[in-house]
Amino acid sequence: MTVPPRDPGEILRALRSRVAALEAHRPAPDAESVLAFGVPGLDRALGGGLALGALHEIVPAAPRDLGAAAATVLALAVHALGRVHRFARREVLWIQPELAGREAGRLYGPGVAALGLSPARLIELRLASERDGAFAMEEALQCRALAVVVGEFSDDRVLDLVALRRLSLAAGAGGGLGLLLRHRAAALASPAATRLAIAAAPGLPDGLGGLGQPAILLSVLRNRRGPTGRWLLVWDHHEHVFREPALREAPVPLPVAEAPVDRPHSPDDAAARTRRDRRRAG
Amino acid sequence: MVEHDPAADAALLEAVAEACDRFTPLVALDPPDGLLLDITGCAHLFGGEAALAADLHGRLAAGGLVARIAVADTPGCAAAVARHGADHIVVVPPGAQDAALAPRPLAALRLPRAMVVSLAEVGLKRIADVLNIPRATLAARFDGLLEKLDAARGLADAPISPRRPMPACVAERRFAEPVLLERDVLGTLLRLAGRLARLLETRGDGARILEAALFRTDGRVVRIAVGTGAPLTDPERMARLFADRLAVGDPWDPGFGFDLVRLSALATERCDPVQGGLDASDGTAELTHLVDRLSTRFGARRVTRQVLHDAHVPEFAAAALPAQVLRVAGGRPGAFTAPSTRRERVSEPAAFTDPPDTLVPCRPLRLLERPEPVEAMAEVPDGPPVRFRWRRVLHAVAAAEGPERIALAWWRDADGTALTRDYFRVECRDGFRAWLFREGLFGRETPRPRWFLHGLFG
Repeated sequence: MTVPPRDPGEILRALRSRVAALEAHRPAPDAESVLAFGVPGLDRALGGGLALGALHEIVPAAPRDLGAAAATVLALAVHALGRVHRFARREVLWIQPELAGREAGRLYGPGVAALGLSPARLIELRLASERDGAFAMEEALQCRALAVVVGEFSDDRVLDLVALRRLSLAAGAGGGLGLLLRHRAAALASPAATRLAIAAAPGLPDGLGGLGQPAILLSVLRNRRGPTGRWLLVWDHHEHVFREPALREAPVPLPVAEAPVDRPHSPDDAAARTRRDRRRAG
Repeated sequence: MVEHDPAADAALLEAVAEACDRFTPLVALDPPDGLLLDITGCAHLFGGEAALAADLHGRLAAGGLVARIAVADTPGCAAAVARHGADHIVVVPPGAQDAALAPRPLAALRLPRAMVVSLAEVGLKRIADVLNIPRATLAARFDGLLEKLDAARGLADAPISPRRPMPACVAERRFAEPVLLERDVLGTLLRLAGRLARLLETRGDGARILEAALFRTDGRVVRIAVGTGAPLTDPERMARLFADRLAVGDPWDPGFGFDLVRLSALATERCDPVQGGLDASDGTAELTHLVDRLSTRFGARRVTRQVLHDAHVPEFAAAALPAQVLRVAGGRPGAFTAPSTRRERVSEPAAFTDPPDTLVPCRPLRLLERPEPVEAMAEVPDGPPVRFRWRRVLHAVAAAEGPERIALAWWRDADGTALTRDYFRVECRDGFRAWLFREGLFGRETPRPRWFLHGLFG
């Protein structure tokens, strides 16, 4: 029997996963293929977390939520760098066309550092036209030295189905996390693995009258591996983890009239959520 | 009749000099109407000095130019023979400068006109006349004559100043049949890159600036230069950079084709070979190459990293520098080196820590290019806003932290327009978080402070 030649990195990864399987305290081999949020319900719905080597779309729920969406993207990048073992020494590339930068502001180094990413690990690409963005993002996704590639697009016209498909394939080839930050949600179908809508939510009060930790409402709009739904999350920029905030007594932070779950994952899940909703409402 | 146009003449001379680059990398202008080519070590490539001169003469004639060409040991001698001789092509044998110079007039040495006149007054008209006069006499009477004479005779060094710096390494290929297609040129560049890489390897260097010169048959030269962020030795990556540049550059006009392609490393840097690891996960070289490619394609100033500065004014706290110029030292994130000097200058970015009195990041993730004015309403003149209107949307403030008072650099501000800013982090009812400031201290600096939105939090 002839064994096809494989690249040394692949052999090493296979060996590592075998060793990891032998050692109980190591993370499951799955941890190198998905990025778990660390929020059980969300991770279960996503089939373990955001798939690595895939493209994910992140859209603001409303134009004013763009800042929250950008912060979530950056938080995901920080989370990926810290959590995925093979990303430990890799970097983050953020592609932003100039028009998008003028509209929504440029990344600000101290703010990036405050959210947990050292500016030394962030490369920014400012493009004159959105058309170059898809090309640059595809090239970057194929590069195995980048952990996370963020492409920001304010104009949807350049992202047709073919371009998105190419980006998905490139992400699969490179193994990194491809995040597409679209300023406007497109109605069209997309080959991306998930589409997450981000809305800013009132922060958790710190009890002293100041601003609490910023919260976001994450809605899974499209999910190839499971149900959709919405979750209230907090990015802890000191610990670099996502948390589900403890439920507050009053006031009710979420719109409660709307049923949040489109496709229940499992009956007990749905039951739990109904219970929770009832608690919120009551 | 056409009026004399010195600028057009100079441009033509430059163009001819560019075309002469095919013979030697060292081409110097000898204005107003001459060129000096240092063909030391190059002549054998063209079948000898006479053949080179004939080739050059033929090419210039094909372009409609009449030229006089002289080959000699020294630039002074060659210039004198070319300008003051009967033949179109003269090859002065090695060491025969005196014989070649002797019958020429003294003006051939490019002396000042006044000196030529005064030499003629004492009966010295040809170079032969001064060769036999004692040097001390000449030195006493005619300042500068001996230097010119010695340089032309080869007794003193006479360097030329070439138009372009001498490349460190060169690989080139000539074609009997000109190539026209971009694909063929790129294939040629890949083969040349292989040769260049071997040359660089023997020197222990890697390329930092590469230039491809494509010589058109009609004398035009297309030059494409690419830069790298780290010494590059991989031929395929070199060729890839050129492919990227050609993909976005102006559409090129090959004319009747290129008959010479030259790849030169204009700047090199020491590059010790690195042992490839078993685990191919360390992608520093791959990342450098990606940055190089993106910089080549879109321009180096568009691919940036942010460097934090210890500055109070928010706009100056971070600067975007080209990622190609900055290098992360030893793979250690957080430490940059500036490769402008060989000595690695490591500067740690200023650590930015949140003040302990807040739970939120104290600086916004996004900063607007310039603060945008908002209509804000505050309960007290120096308090936080209660509601504000930004981009025609009204936001009701639920919580605010501040003020953080930041004074601009008043010592640089001659006309007194730099007002103190009071920054507030605000959160609106719907969760929108922004960084607002009030410009001017109420009552002390301005009677009506204005509000601006400067950044957006997550």
